[in-house]
Amino acid sequence: MKINVMQDVLQANDRIAGENRALFKKNKNLVLNLMSSPGAGKTSLLEKTAEKLAGKLRLGVVVGDIETTRDADRISKYNVPAIQLTTGNACHLDANMVASALPHMPLDKIDVLVVENVGNLVCPAEFVVGEDHKIMILSVTEGDEKPLKYPLMFHESALMLINKIDLVQYTNFKIDEAKANARKINPDIDIIEISCTTGEGLDRWVDWLVAHHRKKLDGLKNA
Amino acid sequence: MHEMGIAQNILEIALDAAKKEGATRITRINMVVGELRGIVPLQLTFCFSIVAQDTMAAGAFLNVEEVPVSGHCNDCQSDFSVEEYQYLCPKCSSTNIQITGGTELRVKDIEIE
Repeated sequence: MKINVMQDVLQANDRIAGENRALFKKNKNLVLNLMSSPGAGKTSLLEKTAEKLAGKLRLGVVVGDIETTRDADRISKYNVPAIQLTTGNACHLDANMVASALPHMPLDKIDVLVVENVGNLVCPAEFVVGEDHKIMILSVTEGDEKPLKYPLMFHESALMLINKIDLVQYTNFKIDEAKANARKINPDIDIIEISCTTGEGLDRWVDWLVAHHRKKLDGLKNA
Repeated sequence: MHEMGIAQNILEIALDAAKKEGATRITRINMVVGELRGIVPLQLTFCFSIVAQDTMAAGAFLNVEEVPVSGHCNDCQSDFSVEEYQYLCPKCSSTNIQITGGTELRVKDIEIE
């Protein structure tokens, strides 16, 4: 006997993501789901962001890693509330894992919450956690063809940060090629070149955050 | 390996639906999976066979119907299939397009005994 089911496989995840989203809305948080390969510079970016945002916007971070609390320890040094989720074997954060961190996060005292996903270019793009935007880092040591190899992540992201541009002269990474490849997949993607080592481009990234936070508040006002 | 988590969800959906019908065994599950989901069907069926062990879906055939990416141009209103992830209208070259297919991830129906 055949039974009609017609159910979205990620329905349970999406429902919890919706609950997270309602909580973020109540607390007026701009929420970003930050994704990249391992070692592209997610935690370095957040350290620099904590420094640069001080006095402008209040930052909070939820970090996902397979093991260890090193990343949260690094970020906590900047007086930013940081909660580490160790995923065990899971290669991505899902809405339920993020929900489990939220009671420990002073959401009413932060403006921007960054969910630092597990380093992986495939799986994290699949699971919404309640974010306003997905954003990603591509570092120049990874190769400019990555958008074509991992289209979903580039397609889903509102912003691509090209990191480690201070090293570009030592690689065969072509910045224009990477940008063109990303825009083929996602014509609307914002792109900012940065170096977390030299600080280049970080002001533009902070401007992006401030603008998107303002946009979120305006959206809530008009809703 | 997001296939494992997805296989687990598929199993739960199928078991729920089968229990409601008072089934004793699930023999087949028909899935619709869009190309944009980045799912490898062979891995998905393998993961499913593992999570389904010791349940009434053990040995069930997981059939994956793949849906290619398709788009609609908001400027010239044409519908087209998106080749090689090039989000560009083949008719008028506009990038003002919306994705109309390829993001599906659904359990369509199941067969039970």
